[in-house]
Amino acid sequence: MIAENTQTQMRKGILEYCVLSIISRGEIYASDIIAELRTAKLLVVEGTLYPLLTRLKNNGLLSYNWVESTSGPPRKYYTLTEDGRGILSQLDQTWQELAYAVGISQKGANS
Amino acid sequence: MEKTIIINIGNTIIHIEESAYELLKAYLNEVKQYFANHADDLEIVTDIENRIAELLTEQLEEQKKQVVDSANVNSVIAQMGKVQDFDTVEEGEEAPVINNNYQYQYTEKKLYRDMDDRVVAGVCAGIAHYVNADPKWIRLATLLISFAGGFGLLVYAILWIIMPKAKSRIERMEMKGEPANLQGFQKNLDEELQAVKERLGEVNKHAQPIFARLGNFIGEFFEWLGRFISGTGKVIFKIIAGFIVVFGVLFLIALIIGTAAFQGFWDASIYEYFPFSIINESNRGIILFGAFVVLFVPILALVLFSIRVAFNKQAINKTLSFALLIIWLAGVAITGYQAAKISSEFKQHAELTQTVDLKSFATYTLDIDKSKYFTKEDSIAYHIDANQKNQIVVDDLEDGPFISPNRIHIDINKSETGVTRLIHKYESQGKTFQSALQNAQNISYTYASKDSALVFSPRFQLRKGSIWRNQEVRLTLEVPVGTIVNIKEGVYRYTNYYGDCETVKGGDYSVWIMTEDGLKCVAQLKEEALNKKKLKEELLDLELQQKHNLTDTIYQDSVSNRIKEVKEELGIAPE
Repeated sequence: MIAENTQTQMRKGILEYCVLSIISRGEIYASDIIAELRTAKLLVVEGTLYPLLTRLKNNGLLSYNWVESTSGPPRKYYTLTEDGRGILSQLDQTWQELAYAVGISQKGANS
Repeated sequence: MEKTIIINIGNTIIHIEESAYELLKAYLNEVKQYFANHADDLEIVTDIENRIAELLTEQLEEQKKQVVDSANVNSVIAQMGKVQDFDTVEEGEEAPVINNNYQYQYTEKKLYRDMDDRVVAGVCAGIAHYVNADPKWIRLATLLISFAGGFGLLVYAILWIIMPKAKSRIERMEMKGEPANLQGFQKNLDEELQAVKERLGEVNKHAQPIFARLGNFIGEFFEWLGRFISGTGKVIFKIIAGFIVVFGVLFLIALIIGTAAFQGFWDASIYEYFPFSIINESNRGIILFGAFVVLFVPILALVLFSIRVAFNKQAINKTLSFALLIIWLAGVAITGYQAAKISSEFKQHAELTQTVDLKSFATYTLDIDKSKYFTKEDSIAYHIDANQKNQIVVDDLEDGPFISPNRIHIDINKSETGVTRLIHKYESQGKTFQSALQNAQNISYTYASKDSALVFSPRFQLRKGSIWRNQEVRLTLEVPVGTIVNIKEGVYRYTNYYGDCETVKGGDYSVWIMTEDGLKCVAQLKEEALNKKKLKEELLDLELQQKHNLTDTIYQDSVSNRIKEVKEELGIAPE
């Protein structure tokens, strides 16, 4: 239970960072984000993504365009805003720090 | 086959099966509830709906289908994730409403009539769900207040009208206070899936005018009445069927025993009794068989049918019942043929007349000898000692159900020749004139003539070997005019001569006299003569009065009227 909880906490933080990273590579459709997250084995269910995207968008990190689809209704394609890029670079740095911290904690400072 | 609903989800038109629709609807409801307090609930839900539409469209294309079924919806839900999984990932200052919260909203019970657990209209069961009690206590309470001047019945009727039926699954869940979410649905997925659409239609019903409700109530009431009757009726039918089975089987056993009896296993004397006595000895076997089949098969069929009704069990297969039908028809044919054969033996009529001259007496007495005539054989059979003279066996003269009609008729006529004689006429039916005559000849009838007394036997016998063919004996006594005939009471049933004629005081006979107009009752003749005499006297009296009271016209009229009447009665022609 404790392990589960910790896992969830870790995933939560990382998920947001990963989503921003994926979107930073270019305009992308929500289901494609999901596909990538799934490949990365980070996302369990799709339903989780939509509230996240909405929150990021409302915080001004994301914006979207409606793009006509060949099959079905128009789709929302997400891009990163300038704010978003700023945040992402901050997060990149934080991640490297975290990775370093994790590396140090696992192997020891001397190695 | 399943009903399909067309839905618009994420601006996409999708055909979906009803059960799948319910599932999807429940899921979306959950999602909506989950994000209800979220600032951007509409946007999130729209995104999710769009995605679901996309997934469903993809699946349809992939599987080359046109209609979404429950499996599709389930796989979409699995992909999108259940609401419970959402909150493990998403967290923020705008914390979404947690499960318990919205479940609480839906746990709120609603008052519906429970149509699944109803005795009459489900009112009590509905209340029981609402107050979380055992329906039986509510029913008991209802019953008790029903005794209080029918108040309970009135309340019941009103509640029947007011409370809506729990028709759809959602309504039933609301009634029971189960959360109307996906778990609730999946929990009951095996149960019948009722369209949520109905529930939507039901919303309008709440606003229906009371008249329409009342109409529904009346319709439902009669529907319930019909169900009650058919339910109880079924039980009654089963009870009746059970009785038929029991008595039918008893009857069949009786029939078999009876047939055996007729066949002569125990007692062949049955053929001496009337309806069977008309059957020729040679035909008995075949007729017995025919009659047995004709009676046995339908009763057997009735018993088998009753078994089916009472125990819901097919006791016999089609081939066998068809065979039974054939056997029965054969039995009917045999019996019909034999019956026609027997009735043909009544076709011809023959008469045989014998005349016996009697000694002349001024007075004759007619009587019936009630002591039974026995042949020597019969006397031995019945252990009657012929030597014991005082022993008399009295035959009861009543016609019973098993006694051959034994017709004896006695007439008394005027003798034209002045000779007293007795004419016996024996009549019978037969297939041909010869056989009819033969049958007539087989009648043996005895009478005793002792001086002026004629004692007749109450019955005729048929000589051995002959059978009943509507034999009759007609006796005609011819006596000259002026002869007195005393008719004993015992003879009355064989003659037309009794009517109003009183019996002689202290005697058991009436006195008759032969006149030119036939036999007349002496007592009656005397009375008539007396009457005539009185009328004549009155007439003389009236005529005198007429002569003396010429002045009073009103009185004159009444007197002359009376004279007319009297003259008419006396047979005197009016002047």
